[in-house]
Amino acid sequence: MPGTDDITAQLIRLLQQELDVVATAQTNLVDDLALESVQIMGFVTEVEDHFDIAIELEALADVHRLDELAALVARSLPA
Amino acid sequence: MSASPDDLKAAADAPVDLLDKFALVRAARDEMASHGEDPTRVVIDALLSPTEAMSDGRRLLLAGTNNYLGLTFHPDCVAAGQDALARFGTGTTGSRMANGNYSGHEALERAFADFYGMPHGMLFSTGYAANLGVLNALVGPDDAVLLDADAHASLYDGCKLAGVRVYRFKHNDPDSLDKRLRRLGQDARRALVVVEGLYSILGDAAPLAEIAEIKNRHGAYLFVDEAHSLGIYGEQGRGVVEAAGILDQVDFVVGTFSKSLGATGGYCVSPHAITDLLRYASRPYIFTASLCPSVVATVHAALDVVRRDRSHREALWRNARHLYQGLASAGFHLGPECSPVIAVRHSDRNEVIAAWQALLAAGVYVNLIVPPASPDGGSLLRLSVSAAHSPAQIDELIAAFNAHCGPLKPALVSA
Repeated sequence: MPGTDDITAQLIRLLQQELDVVATAQTNLVDDLALESVQIMGFVTEVEDHFDIAIELEALADVHRLDELAALVARSLPA
Repeated sequence: MSASPDDLKAAADAPVDLLDKFALVRAARDEMASHGEDPTRVVIDALLSPTEAMSDGRRLLLAGTNNYLGLTFHPDCVAAGQDALARFGTGTTGSRMANGNYSGHEALERAFADFYGMPHGMLFSTGYAANLGVLNALVGPDDAVLLDADAHASLYDGCKLAGVRVYRFKHNDPDSLDKRLRRLGQDARRALVVVEGLYSILGDAAPLAEIAEIKNRHGAYLFVDEAHSLGIYGEQGRGVVEAAGILDQVDFVVGTFSKSLGATGGYCVSPHAITDLLRYASRPYIFTASLCPSVVATVHAALDVVRRDRSHREALWRNARHLYQGLASAGFHLGPECSPVIAVRHSDRNEVIAAWQALLAAGVYVNLIVPPASPDGGSLLRLSVSAAHSPAQIDELIAAFNAHCGPLKPALVSA
């Protein structure tokens, strides 16, 4: 199972690939990247498929920064 | 006095006062209205027909009303409404669970169930309440909803009211749904797949045959919102569920009376006997007054028109093809398929707002859709076609787009 640093690195690559934006672990997905919320939601479905996990919509309410998304992915991976 | 964008953001990020958070809303509204007329405040003063209105002293050609079958002035519907108004009064003044349960409500529920060939039907006071009301009663925190990413706000709100776990899948992508149901494992049997028949922003229909096959394979349930497709799709007008041949597989069909049937209210029909029990658990059903008798009567008359007279449906599709082909060959970037909902898409929000203003000034009313209401971060003008449009009015719409919306073509948004 990948650690959160590895997950973060994968998320940074996915963001570049899917939305053509450059991010770090501390990047705020909405404020810093000037993305529409619908684009963030679309990105999350790509993240789910990339890691083969299911992310509940409500769990995203607490996610603002990329490292927070990485922590959520880590929690969602099978033990 | 106007605050700077930084001041507004500071106030919204760290509100001190209860009302501070409205600063950003006010700024967004004022910015939208600064282009000319406020798109959210167009006032209709009089209706000349289902497709023409007077607004602010000028005639408007209406192409953004959801009045798909053009039944709002149908003589049968008007007469039925007037008769019910005289016999039952202006309103029921109560919930269906108390004094607001009239014979007309029960008759309309039976009529809808009969129309679909299903044993159970249920009415709601609006289409929005129908989606909230069915979801609120049907699913709970231990269940899961698989929701199409482009689903209407009422479906998201219904899930929130239900407290159910929600997993979004890619819009109209059966494979994306299949993967998410697989990830649920055993829980898939406690999952409800929630989709629309026809999506109201881009006018694209759902691949319901594939979706039904997947939900059957996983033992899940299927809920289809036919708000924009009732009376329009299918041999008998029963929606995309009929056109896709899945009437015997769908678990809950929900819809509205406010579009093709020209009134207000909503319904659910289902083959499942528990549908009658939903009434006891549905807060949007219980804690609101029932539909006015006159509305029930106009809806019943409109449903009878849909069932006996296909001419409106045929005229609607002729008009939809005429308009879609006219705008496509003029070079506009449209939604992926021809339907009575036609989206003219563009990436630049300000160009789209300017085009909307120019159309209004020229006497043409369409809907303006900007983020976050649009699916891809782009903006669009949405036209809804009506059976009541004359061929000349469709030509007038195409000419108006050519004359006033030039900057929206060539298309810059990828499909």
